[in-house]
Amino acid sequence: MSDTVDVSRLVKSFGATRALDELDLRVAQGEVHGFLGPNGAGKSTTIRVLLGLLRIDSGSVTVFGLDPWRDATRIHRRLAYVPGDVSLWPNLSGGETIDLLLRMRGIDPAGTRREELLERFGLDPTKKGRAYSKGNRQKVALVAAFAAPVELLVLDEPTSGLDPLMEQVFNDCLAEHRAAGATVLLSSHILSEVERLADRVTIIRAGRAVETGTLAELRHLRRDRVRVEVSGAVPDVAALPGVHDVTVDGQVIGCSVDPAGLPGLLSVVTAAGVVSLSSTPPTLEELFLDAYRSPA
Amino acid sequence: MTERLHGTWLLVRFELRRDRVLIGAWLGVLTLTVVASAAGTASLYSDTREQVAAAEAINASPAIVALYGPVLDVTSLGELAMTKMTVLYAAFVAFLGVVLVRRHTRVEEETGRAELVGATAVGPDAPVAAAVLEAGLACVAIGVLAAAADVASGLPVAGSVLFGASWTGIGLVGSAVALLAAQVSSSARAVGFLASAIIGAAYLLRAVGDTSVTWLSWLSPFGWGTQLSAWSSPRAWVLLLHPLLAGVLVAVALGLRRRRDLGAGLLPDRPGPATGSPRLRDAVTLAWRTQRTAVVGWTVGIGVMGVLMGSIIPSIGSMLDSDGARAVIEAMGGIGGVQDALLAAITSVVAVVITCFGIAIITRAAGDEHDGRSETVLATATSRDRLLLAVGALAILGTTWLLLVAGLATALGRGDGLAAVGASLVQAPATWLVLALGLVLLTLRSRWAIAGWGLLAVFVTLGQVGESLRLPDWVVGLSPYSHVPKYPVEAVTWRPELAMTALAGLALVAAWLRFRSRDIG
Repeated sequence: MSDTVDVSRLVKSFGATRALDELDLRVAQGEVHGFLGPNGAGKSTTIRVLLGLLRIDSGSVTVFGLDPWRDATRIHRRLAYVPGDVSLWPNLSGGETIDLLLRMRGIDPAGTRREELLERFGLDPTKKGRAYSKGNRQKVALVAAFAAPVELLVLDEPTSGLDPLMEQVFNDCLAEHRAAGATVLLSSHILSEVERLADRVTIIRAGRAVETGTLAELRHLRRDRVRVEVSGAVPDVAALPGVHDVTVDGQVIGCSVDPAGLPGLLSVVTAAGVVSLSSTPPTLEELFLDAYRSPA
Repeated sequence: MTERLHGTWLLVRFELRRDRVLIGAWLGVLTLTVVASAAGTASLYSDTREQVAAAEAINASPAIVALYGPVLDVTSLGELAMTKMTVLYAAFVAFLGVVLVRRHTRVEEETGRAELVGATAVGPDAPVAAAVLEAGLACVAIGVLAAAADVASGLPVAGSVLFGASWTGIGLVGSAVALLAAQVSSSARAVGFLASAIIGAAYLLRAVGDTSVTWLSWLSPFGWGTQLSAWSSPRAWVLLLHPLLAGVLVAVALGLRRRRDLGAGLLPDRPGPATGSPRLRDAVTLAWRTQRTAVVGWTVGIGVMGVLMGSIIPSIGSMLDSDGARAVIEAMGGIGGVQDALLAAITSVVAVVITCFGIAIITRAAGDEHDGRSETVLATATSRDRLLLAVGALAILGTTWLLLVAGLATALGRGDGLAAVGASLVQAPATWLVLALGLVLLTLRSRWAIAGWGLLAVFVTLGQVGESLRLPDWVVGLSPYSHVPKYPVEAVTWRPELAMTALAGLALVAAWLRFRSRDIG
């Protein structure tokens, strides 16, 4: 099965600025893929390349196995897009905008879930585009995107204007589409959101993918924080391979451990008599900070 | 009190910085028209008898009086020279006030920038005070420039100063009207419409007053410019009326403003339909849906103007029956009967005005792209070709439609056959070429679309005044408008018409190819 989105060694420059620098990104069919990075890392630029709005300098990009630059409209029939900063037509009502966007994708609004979604998002469709707040503009785009079954959802920081209640509605909608087999590319800088929703994650920094994989895989690359209390003499664990940042407080040892160093550490502390042991995997937060701190 | 106005001067400087090109261009063009009118009128009539005859001809034609206002003292050269300036061009001064005040009040609220500024340490009344102050400064500047232009052109100093002051006054009234309108509606577009409608109504009231019930003119600020009688036995106290009215309007506006929240309007926003019409389904119907109000507004405006122009032409024809005037009209409209020449000349100006509609459509498309609406459309199954087609078709077909309306309305006003329709339609290839070049600018880079206005200004300057400035033929020939046959004075020459159509077609193909291969946004 080929990937729904396949980007390799993508380069895109604006003048002297290299916005995307040999970026790799693969989104498998049916997965929710988190696309993480701070403002200006190149998330939106990547998405706009995937939509065929930007011409690439080098590398290769396919969506559904097609070239987004040449086959934009064929691809667009099979996806829905929610931009990060939704701009509406000032004199069209929200309801008109939703129906227009659906019809432009070749979908008849009458057969969709738009009414139910308007209800769930608490959106008044009779207001004019200029009268909506940022969150409500985002809801207009979300209702249009979620109203009909679609193969690929491209969501660029879709919850940045939503309150926590509406975020929950968003999560539910996403789960429903995922259950129906949709593939999702979810760009965000909200780590907890991606951690909760994504199957796999790509972290982008300065136009380059610095980490990619499932959360579990990423954690394997990282050190767990281990805290262990022993009954016997406190062993010298600092000399063990793969063990770092050791602190000793009475009978309690704290340290960071590479995945490879864990068996060695465990055998030493077991010999000293374990009273209690806790091991915390790194949060995405820590992965994220780590990816940004290390030199590219 | 000073606390509430804290930061006003800083904001005024900031606004002047933002508007330096806008104000500079507006003031420059208005000053140039004053110079051209003052110097032109003096050279038009060789003696006082001809000049008096022209003034009396104006007063004798209700259509001209309705448009330009009457000449109170037919022996005054200054008054004759400034007739159009006193009333019609005063409206452009009023609109400068509208544009500036709307831009710094309701537009700022609608975009949310007012919140950004309001959250800083500026006083709550400072943004409004700054908007009024900035517009006031611009009005004073245009008054001073107009007076100086008249003096420099040899008109009496006292009259020039009073005339300049009347421009400042009407500008203040326009600014105050916009401030009031900005309190009423929460939509910046509606504010512009409302303020324009109030100014239009005041203009109409004066037109009715000047042609029938004189006291009605005293009720309109546009009547005061004439009643001031700046050039002979002036009533200087009339100049107090403008600031008085402006002051009252500003006070009412401030009262209304204290009663409302930031971003809200007194008129509730009318709700729209909850569902979209099935006809609203692609880029083309979307373009029509979002711009149809503009198309209808332009159609009505051009229609009324055409009828008015058509009915004026016979009377102006006799008024301009002097050798100097004939030479000017013939330079613009070709050699032939003065009336036909006048028709050709007026139609060429109307064609330029109508081209503005098309340029506005193209610059709005650039705005759609800049704000991300084009991106939303292109992320659906809509192709780039279709999006460009929507913009191009609306600009080009809309402009052609307006030319047809102008021709039919002028023919209706004249009641003398369909020559006016022909005169209007021969302008089409030139407007197509200008718009096609505008589309090339848009497709080269969306930010460049705004240069379409500059291109239009250059062509107009070359075409309309190039010959009187004695520029070389090839320079004048750069303007498409200079190749339009001067029908009905001269026969329609097909070669330039076909050549311009072909060039427009080439430019459209270039725009289409470019739009397929460039980044969006």
